[in-house]
Amino acid sequence: MASLFPKRLLSRRSKATQTERVRERRHEGFLRYANFRWAKISGGLCLLIIVSYALIDVTPRPNGGSWYGYTLGTIGALLILWLTALGYRKRKMTSDYWSLKAWTSAHVYLGLSLIVIGTWHTGFQLGWNVHTLAWVLMMLVILSGLYGVIAYATLPAALSNNRDEMTQMQMLEAIRAFDRQLHAAAQPLTPEDTAPVLAALDEDPFAGGIAARLSGRYPRCATSAALVALATSRSSNADARDKVVGLLKQKEAALARLRQHLKIRALLEVWLYVHVPLTFALIAALSAHIISVFFYW
Amino acid sequence: MSFILRRISTTKTGKQIVRDQPLPGDTITLGREGGNTIHIADLAVNPQHATITSADGRHVRVLASEGLGFDFNGRTVDVADVDSAAGAELRFGGHRLTIAREGDNVILLVERIDELSQSSKDVDEAKAFSLQGVMPGKRMGAWAFGILVLLAFLIGPIWAWSSFKSVDERPQGYHADKAWMSGPLSSAHASLKNDCQSCHVEPFVAVTDKACVGCHTGEHKAMSMAHANAPTAMLLAARHPPGVGERILAGFAKTFNKPQGRCVACHTEHEGAGPMLATPQKFCADCHDGMSARLLKAGFKPTVADAADFGTSHPEFRPMVRTAPGAKPVRAMPGKGALTDFDGLKFPHDVHLQATGGVARMAASFRGRYDFGKKLECGNCHRPEADGVRIKPVEMERDCAMCHSLAFETVGGVTRTLRHGEPDQVVADLTAYYRSTPPSRPLQLGGMERRRPGDYAQGQVYNIYFREVAMRPNRAEDAVRAVFSKGGACYDCHTIFAPQAGNKWRVQAVDQTPRFLTKGWFDHDAHKETDCADCHTAAPASKAATDLLVPGLRQCRDCHVGETGARVVKVETATESPCAMCHEYHSDGGKPWMPQRQRKKNVASVTDRPPRNVYGVTQVTGGDWRSLYDVTWRTPALAAARRGG
Repeated sequence: MASLFPKRLLSRRSKATQTERVRERRHEGFLRYANFRWAKISGGLCLLIIVSYALIDVTPRPNGGSWYGYTLGTIGALLILWLTALGYRKRKMTSDYWSLKAWTSAHVYLGLSLIVIGTWHTGFQLGWNVHTLAWVLMMLVILSGLYGVIAYATLPAALSNNRDEMTQMQMLEAIRAFDRQLHAAAQPLTPEDTAPVLAALDEDPFAGGIAARLSGRYPRCATSAALVALATSRSSNADARDKVVGLLKQKEAALARLRQHLKIRALLEVWLYVHVPLTFALIAALSAHIISVFFYW
Repeated sequence: MSFILRRISTTKTGKQIVRDQPLPGDTITLGREGGNTIHIADLAVNPQHATITSADGRHVRVLASEGLGFDFNGRTVDVADVDSAAGAELRFGGHRLTIAREGDNVILLVERIDELSQSSKDVDEAKAFSLQGVMPGKRMGAWAFGILVLLAFLIGPIWAWSSFKSVDERPQGYHADKAWMSGPLSSAHASLKNDCQSCHVEPFVAVTDKACVGCHTGEHKAMSMAHANAPTAMLLAARHPPGVGERILAGFAKTFNKPQGRCVACHTEHEGAGPMLATPQKFCADCHDGMSARLLKAGFKPTVADAADFGTSHPEFRPMVRTAPGAKPVRAMPGKGALTDFDGLKFPHDVHLQATGGVARMAASFRGRYDFGKKLECGNCHRPEADGVRIKPVEMERDCAMCHSLAFETVGGVTRTLRHGEPDQVVADLTAYYRSTPPSRPLQLGGMERRRPGDYAQGQVYNIYFREVAMRPNRAEDAVRAVFSKGGACYDCHTIFAPQAGNKWRVQAVDQTPRFLTKGWFDHDAHKETDCADCHTAAPASKAATDLLVPGLRQCRDCHVGETGARVVKVETATESPCAMCHEYHSDGGKPWMPQRQRKKNVASVTDRPPRNVYGVTQVTGGDWRSLYDVTWRTPALAAARRGG
């Protein structure tokens, strides 16, 4: 069997596997991948562009229609298409050299270099037109991606701290348990006291729009309202009420943990809702930009 | 009859366990409190919610006891009469009470149908904990944004193009293809900003020269005379070998059908509002830098020297000079000694420009009468044309006669002068003068009585007078000869030919070259802040009129540097000078492009045009005045340019 593969290839493959193991052990993420290989490549590319832009005298003044502009524009357009392909690549399992981590690392750093490629392609001539629209969309996509990178680098720690070694279903289960206990404990209460408790039970922990998710603020939280109502109520048996108040406090804490969890997850995910749709808007604008150039050639 | 309470519980495996419990009494109470016959642990149920009674064992009456009712057939009621044989479903809070009949018994089935709480409901973990539940899908956003952008910025503009492609002028309003405009049009074309189709005629076809000459009729169709007369092969051979960038651009151009050498290659548009940018130096230097070697290699004879940048690489000027009196002007060859130009005059600049001496004293004595100072200045004799570009030819009557008077007689306070420029008339006038007028008789001589001897002074006057009287008719010829000979009025400034074989007195014709540098434009007006002698450095020391006093490249380079500031000498206040500052390409007789600080004036003249005669430069340009940005070109009067201006 071994004779089917040249020895060199085999040794190279085993070496690659070994490197991969080292990386796994060090928890090397996509940012530090291969000792910042793609950061260096992309930084070098940016530097090359900035320096050559300063050295090359494009007449009458720099713009996208000069040879330098065409070069940068072509590189930029191809790069945008390749960067978009990450969405396809991440759904495909491969065992090849191009791991998803390598691909993501290249995606992040080459995507950042697009700031220089795209902006220098414009020759700093911006206006109210489809060409600048494409540039603006590109910058929005890059900035949302930059936010995503920062979120991925910082938020998981907060997410982990908040979870306190619970899974998210366990968090929900805790709330369910408090609900059951509340339901039982509230039985002796008078109807005016049960109403807020019932409202608290009826509250969907996943309710609230995108604003509530991102801010983590729920000003019309029924559990908090029930807590206030029962603390001031005098109508039912005091012991039963105290028990319910205690349970409501516990539920409120559990709910707060779940909501913090939802907030961090929302912050982790929200950029994709900008990044992905705007990428396709960008590709549409880019097509219009390129076609318009050739249409009114 | 009795009421039987039936409870159904479901095991984890889905198996149902049915438990029946007979209820005592005819009146069944239902509520959350433990004392009720049917105890429903549901916070949405009142402590004593309802009573269930049956009068005949078949019909059941359900009566809500406290304010809260119950749901019956979808409506909230306080009382319901139910035929147990037909059965019914009632709803209390989260529970359902089903009334049915089995044999003699009324079966009351109580089940929880709602979840205990909202959180108890089943959730799709992937959806509930992520933003999927609260945001529209990414895929939908991608489609929506993409289609929106394509509609507004691709379909819309193409539609606008197709609906107006054959019109001259579009109606006012927004046209979708304006979104494609890469930059504002220059001020000359600003009125076309709505009409993309006026230049972009065919889709995917680069703007053609046809679109330009549709408006710009006339000489702009062609290149300059020198270029248009050159064979195409020679023009192609002159081009420099393309660099990497140009090869990329040429590749683009070839691949995407963008022909080279069109008007728009030099006259770029969409570069911003304001005047169209001056054609950059590169477009000239592309060929003219190192051109002669390439031409020689290709078998052509170069007629102009290489030039790439005024500051560093520009040939010495070759003014048009007359190498001999009366000769035709030819292009001077610099570098072979001092240049001479025979204009037929004798004029020592040094004598006239001295600060002391006879000329200066004479000028000073005329102060107040003429615009003289303590000495003569260049401007006392050399006057600019009305447009300021060039200097008028020197005219005897205007520029010399202040000092060099040709007066020979005063009659009744009127001075008679010799006719300048007409030697035959001079001869005739002098002859007539000597024939017709006797010498005026001195008063001392009195009558014709005899004098007393010894009166010497009177005798002297007598002698002078009578000798004059006696000599008079013969003196005309002498006077004419004297005027035309050394020391005479004509001879001082002109070369005179004595009468020979039937010829009369003749004066060498004066040829004042109006424009020495015919390939470039020099604007005296633009340099009026500068002293004449700063550029015409040789003038104060020039002893002969044959000295060519046109400044050389060196003097220009004192201020003018290349387009990018390149220079070979030290320059204090540098003026960046692209080729187009002095040279113009289309030979349409107009002055070339102007430096930026003067261009402001020009913009005003486009928008707020002065009357035609303000800048009337008929003599200089050969044609009517017109603005640099006029679009209705006329056939240029190139004849004047051929004559050297």
